[in-house]
Amino acid sequence: MSGIAMPQPDIRILERAPQIVASLQEALPLDTVIFDPEETRAYECDALTAYRCAPLAVVLPRSTEEVAAVMRVCADMGVPVVPRGAGTSLAGGALPTADCVVIGTARLRDVLEIDTDNRFIRVQTGVTNLSVSEMLEPHGFFYAPDPSSQLACTIAGNIAMNSGGAHCLKYGVTTNNLMGATVVLTTGEIVELGGPELGPSGLDLLGLLCGSEGQLGIVTEAVLRIVPRPEGARPVLIGFDGAEVAGECVARIIRSGVLPVAIEYMDEPCLRAVEDFAHAGYPDCAAVLIVEVEGSPDEIADQIARIRDIAAALDPVEFRESRNADDALAIWKGRKSAFGAMGRLGDYICLDGTVPVGQLPYTLRRIGELSKQHGLEVANVFHAGDGNMHPLILFNANEPGQLERAEAFGADILRLCVEVGGCLTGEHGVGVEKRDLMGAQYDAVDLAVQMEVKDVFDPAWLLNPAKVFPLEASAAHRLKVAE
Amino acid sequence: MQTNFTPEQLADPATARSNEILRSCVHCGFCTATCPTYKLLGDELDSPRGRIYLIKDMLENNRVPDGKTVAHIDRCLSCLSCMTTCPSGVHYMHLVDHAREYIERTYRRPFAERVLRWLLAKILPYPGRFRLALRGAGLARPLRRLMPDARLRAMLDMAPRAIPPVSPNDAPQVFPAQGPRRRRVALLIGCAQRALNTDINDATIRLLRRHGCEVVIPKGIGCCGALTHHMGRTGESHAMAAANIRAVVAEIDGGGLDAVVLNTSGCGTTVKDYGHMFRNDPLAGDAARVAALAKDVTEVMAELGLRDAGHAEPLRVGYHSACSLQHGQQVRAAPKELLAQAGFMVLEPRDSHICCGSAGTYNLMQPEISGQLKARKVETLEALEPQVISAGNIGCMMQIGSGTGVPVVHTVELLDWATGGPQPHGLAGAGAGG
Amino acid sequence: MSTDAISRTAHAPGSEAELAEIVAGHFTTGQSLRVAGGGTRVQTGHVAGELLTTRAVSGVVAYEPGEMTLIARTGTPLHEVEAMLASEGQALAFEPPDLRRVLGGDGTPTIGGMVAANASGPRRIMAGACRDHLLGVRFVDGQGRILKNGGRVMKNVTGLDLSKLLCGSFGTLGVLTEVAMKTLPQAQARATLAFPGVDEAAALRIFSSALATPFEISGAAFHDGIAWLRIEGLPPQLAYRQKRLQDLFSGREIEILDADATVRLWRDLRDVTHFAGTEAPLWRVLVKPSDAPAIAAALRGLGGQVSLDWGGGLIWYCGPGEAGAVRDIAPHAVLVRRGEVEGPVFPRQSAPVERLSEGLRRKFDPAGILNPGLMEG
Repeated sequence: MSGIAMPQPDIRILERAPQIVASLQEALPLDTVIFDPEETRAYECDALTAYRCAPLAVVLPRSTEEVAAVMRVCADMGVPVVPRGAGTSLAGGALPTADCVVIGTARLRDVLEIDTDNRFIRVQTGVTNLSVSEMLEPHGFFYAPDPSSQLACTIAGNIAMNSGGAHCLKYGVTTNNLMGATVVLTTGEIVELGGPELGPSGLDLLGLLCGSEGQLGIVTEAVLRIVPRPEGARPVLIGFDGAEVAGECVARIIRSGVLPVAIEYMDEPCLRAVEDFAHAGYPDCAAVLIVEVEGSPDEIADQIARIRDIAAALDPVEFRESRNADDALAIWKGRKSAFGAMGRLGDYICLDGTVPVGQLPYTLRRIGELSKQHGLEVANVFHAGDGNMHPLILFNANEPGQLERAEAFGADILRLCVEVGGCLTGEHGVGVEKRDLMGAQYDAVDLAVQMEVKDVFDPAWLLNPAKVFPLEASAAHRLKVAE
Repeated sequence: MQTNFTPEQLADPATARSNEILRSCVHCGFCTATCPTYKLLGDELDSPRGRIYLIKDMLENNRVPDGKTVAHIDRCLSCLSCMTTCPSGVHYMHLVDHAREYIERTYRRPFAERVLRWLLAKILPYPGRFRLALRGAGLARPLRRLMPDARLRAMLDMAPRAIPPVSPNDAPQVFPAQGPRRRRVALLIGCAQRALNTDINDATIRLLRRHGCEVVIPKGIGCCGALTHHMGRTGESHAMAAANIRAVVAEIDGGGLDAVVLNTSGCGTTVKDYGHMFRNDPLAGDAARVAALAKDVTEVMAELGLRDAGHAEPLRVGYHSACSLQHGQQVRAAPKELLAQAGFMVLEPRDSHICCGSAGTYNLMQPEISGQLKARKVETLEALEPQVISAGNIGCMMQIGSGTGVPVVHTVELLDWATGGPQPHGLAGAGAGG
Repeated sequence: MSTDAISRTAHAPGSEAELAEIVAGHFTTGQSLRVAGGGTRVQTGHVAGELLTTRAVSGVVAYEPGEMTLIARTGTPLHEVEAMLASEGQALAFEPPDLRRVLGGDGTPTIGGMVAANASGPRRIMAGACRDHLLGVRFVDGQGRILKNGGRVMKNVTGLDLSKLLCGSFGTLGVLTEVAMKTLPQAQARATLAFPGVDEAAALRIFSSALATPFEISGAAFHDGIAWLRIEGLPPQLAYRQKRLQDLFSGREIEILDADATVRLWRDLRDVTHFAGTEAPLWRVLVKPSDAPAIAAALRGLGGQVSLDWGGGLIWYCGPGEAGAVRDIAPHAVLVRRGEVEGPVFPRQSAPVERLSEGLRRKFDPAGILNPGLMEG
């Protein structure tokens, strides 16, 4: 394993493992607790496989009350808790520690209420993102945030990471579509935040909770804003022979007043990999934009005409409208599977920095230079409309030293993002992956106040250990608090 | 993802292949979403990603698997839905096949289970023995309540009450094409299928002949090996497959063949994989030739184009996509398009990518999960209010048929009817007549 | 909270550093501060302490129309910001209200006050609230520490989202000094469908039907027997949407208001001018929209009038009802114009939420000097 350190497991907890498991088994139905080392192994990592550690136990509760029961056991026995949705985090957001209990949400899968008059759906948070929209389809609504992993990822994970997606250019990210949450605190207390009304009428605790990466509580139920399905949507593909001109096209579209629902960017290495999987017929060129607009057929035609005019002025290699729904589906299937499809080329780490849109061309050029410097290939696929970049650094995990080089390259890219006015992570979260880079974006005091907020919710720091805050900073902070 | 095999381990071709597969997995978790057992059980260990992890751990450490590991891998339906979903192209089928073989070799199952698996392996692939067993089931039915094992009861429940007589069409012979010959094809007549239902082969032969195919039932053809292959009994499955390969190759080198036609998609998936199964065998070349010619009957029909359709009633057909067809062979559009061209109203259920729970011998070995999947499948199919349900795999037909009053027939039976053949037996008196 | 404690002293620092120094000084002495921007949004007359205004921490730091981003110091007058955006065809999509006519007073609304109050107008139902367009903040906490959170880019999940927490905290957690906002293209065309002669229940049915369509209703309000729906978009979109909605409500009498009338109407609705010119208490009540007719009727039963916005999700109640009676009917009611009403501005939250909120206040403002008591229910 590589550069990112994890804390030493607490030997006093490990020694009490049998009692902890027994207490969990007492509090929960038998098939809810997994503790056999052969079985906990499968929970040792999420989609960031470079970091792995099997937990002490995994529990798969079926209700808020069961989650609360686990929390009470863990709080009583001083055992850290790592919440896990579908385990699709690319940032190691669900990486266990050897002395922790993983609380999985996979069995919290009930849809509790669909209310189209008040435009919300209430679900248990283990439901997958895509299944929420599928459930709403007969009602003419959908749930807008659409992370690429939406097929598999859970609402719980979406809330923890404040997930975005391709279509958030128009509809916003999770926090803009979350109306309420049932939260289990470390005490085992169950709290309702927000609800079907457009709140809050006090402090925005829900806004604070969303994106807190499991540091403050575990969300077991959620009230989600639902949006009427557009009459239609159509993506167009615009191919360019260079990254910079593609970046310019993005800026001009945004300035024009047409607001597409999504503007996505894929470069040539990425296009090759996804074409193998999706067979979408992507143009063969240096950079491709997928621009999607919505509305009635006439509205779509009108917006596409405007975009065509903007693109034409920049001399694109190709401008292609999807011909039918299957075409559009294939185009999106390719984009949404891009990370997975890159697996065909080898191992990679996927970054998630955001830069101001105007800085895209410069940032892409610098990434190219850094790629040469580090001697590792990089592919780019990202949400261009909001500057949320996903450079994928390719390496060979079976060759010693390569992961470390890829990580050093990644750190350089993220520092670059901050330097040009952006941030470390746009939608994947800090997790363990970017934890030690937090200092690049925040001063010590900015981090201190965030840790003080955690103190309020989780005074013993049992929730999702060793994530978000640099280890040294959090250790120093806790020492200071203890004094 | 990273793997830890020694060079010695990688010298074994099966392990080398598994390493290659594991290396292509990025652990993204997409596969969990479309896995039937994960959807039911909600434990990652019962998902492809969890099983891949269990297999990786077992193979890397040359570990004798424990009961729990085996249980999770046994629960896999081999429906291969995960392979359709996987963006990284992880060949889960080859990996789980390797794992099953490894388990069969290294793990000693409890006695009752060993007996059960032995029985299945010795009966199902042999139509004669299977017929006898089915008669036996009829005698045993009154004793059902005394049976200690849910799996035994499941077997009994699956056994049909009426067993068709042996069809003369299943004997080795050549059926000439009607009209000018357009293709010469071999029909692999299957094993369990022809004990359970002779209409399917009969309809297939009529349909192909009517569309200008000379249909050969090769001499020496038997079980394709799929049933035992999925039980990890590689020795038996390879022996059966080898016999088939020789039989087909004799025809290729004799009268010549344009296609090897399968109408049991579970077998089709395996026959199409012969090249891989025999890649390190002297038969490799022949196996690859057979695999390359293997086609589902609907693939062949899509090539030939449906002629003079419209003889059947325009029924509402609930089309069930067999996993082996849609995931194993990636044949999705052809059956639906053919049925539509034949004049039927084709309807597809919600979650059509999810398995019905049949999955070879799965419904016999894992009756509980299988039963839940069956109930879901029947519910979503019945929601379509179909007049008939069609599928391209005998296993699915039996499974779904045991849970619904709606008649279940093979896709070729409907196509045969629409192009001038008799109305499928299953439809007679089922309210579909007019 | 006696009137004696309310000081006439006013601090109007010209920079963040200066502001931080003042707060740090008060942290040491424990003297409280009445934090305000232009003082136009919330009545803090009852809050103890010296006035601290951000008015002089002013000026736009950056505006990038192509990135849809504006960064401004918090004392920047809102009308200056809005004029600057309009010159590029952009706007703050959440339509911040101007409550001066309702509250009286002669202050100038600031962008900081807007964020501190999470001030959001009719378009909130479609575009989200102020907090949904807030990209990042700089602020000074109750110890005088200068802090930042978020940034200037549209997608940012780095660390805990304190920006959301600060937004709508009315100066109780910190004094905002700089905010970064997402800007959006202004609609190029707009119109209103007016449905006369309806009651709240009928209005709700109209709202629910219209808001279930894909026609991007950007306003759904009701007052005095008329329900209004606002549509916006590119010119061809507008015509199409209007037609489809007219078809949807073909059984009802509909009057179409043109662009100018639409602008005037929704500005008035946004600013609640129909409840201006009186001293009667004014309450802002957030409800589940389908509950609105019953709650509105109950509030009217206390005397006074109601109007609806946000498709029924926001009830404005202007009337003499006692605080206790109003909150019995509508537990989430916030007192916007005090009139003769005694008691807290904000409603009491559930016990665990109160405890967490109090815990947060103690971290951000350990000495309890920032708008003390303002947000306690």
